[in-house]
Amino acid sequence: MKSRSKIFLGDSLIIFISLIFIIFTFKTFWHFETGSVVQVNFQGKTYGNFSLFQNKEMSLIGKEGESIIEIKEGRVRFAKSPCKNQYCVQQGWIHFTGQMLICIPNEVSIEVLGKTKAYDSLNY
Amino acid sequence: MTRSIIKIKTTLLDHQIAQLSAIAIGLSLIESVLPSPMPGVKPGIANIITLYAMYRFNFRTAIWVSILRVFATSLILGQFLSPTFMLSLAGSLLSLLTLYFSIKLPSRFFSPIGLSVLSSFAHITGQLLLVRLWLIPHASIYYLIPIYSAAALAFGLINGWITYRLLKHHNSI
Repeated sequence: MKSRSKIFLGDSLIIFISLIFIIFTFKTFWHFETGSVVQVNFQGKTYGNFSLFQNKEMSLIGKEGESIIEIKEGRVRFAKSPCKNQYCVQQGWIHFTGQMLICIPNEVSIEVLGKTKAYDSLNY
Repeated sequence: MTRSIIKIKTTLLDHQIAQLSAIAIGLSLIESVLPSPMPGVKPGIANIITLYAMYRFNFRTAIWVSILRVFATSLILGQFLSPTFMLSLAGSLLSLLTLYFSIKLPSRFFSPIGLSVLSSFAHITGQLLLVRLWLIPHASIYYLIPIYSAAALAFGLINGWITYRLLKHHNSI
């Protein structure tokens, strides 16, 4: 019985180190940070950066019509959009760093920014 | 006209390599039909055979079994030279390299279970490196590292344990 437990000593070490590694990677790569600023892009240009800690409604007149962006209680959403699909409106509120809402027909996109830039598939 | 017969002299070890590879290919094929929650998360049960070959015979046998398995499985599934094949090859090569060094660890403390975990981590490292350098050259794949390493640990443990039992059963450990 004693030799059996000795065999697994090195293995336990490997398993222990891998567990620490897994926890470490979860902590490093899976932290979701609440953003503080929203960047509004309009017709290919940055329209402006706005703090999320205010109540504000913005109206952008694009090709399709009027898009209304609403900032409230640290979150932001498309309140109204002239586009056909209404995907941007239906996605609702966003507040984590790196989250993004895009309205392609009206050329409006909003992205939540924080201290660090989060990765997402759109960057690629 | 006389028929020319090419005869290849085969050794006993060749036959053993062929047998082990056949089992490994079979396991790989079975695994390929299993549904996977996300691409790349696979049990990797063929690694049992690689480990088994290494312990039972020698490291050269393990290389043969592993590489033959990668090539044959991809040919059968029609994935030869495709990204899937490249990923599989990259994983297997790094896994073999890790085994080459880890087999030198004192066997008093390190059983196939530990080596299996190491090799499955090496496998996923090789794959993620290739994905990062070639397929998706962007940092966003770092998000996947926790999932893949958790899967590597879980499946590495299971495979290692199966290998350990197999070797115990055949009195090779």
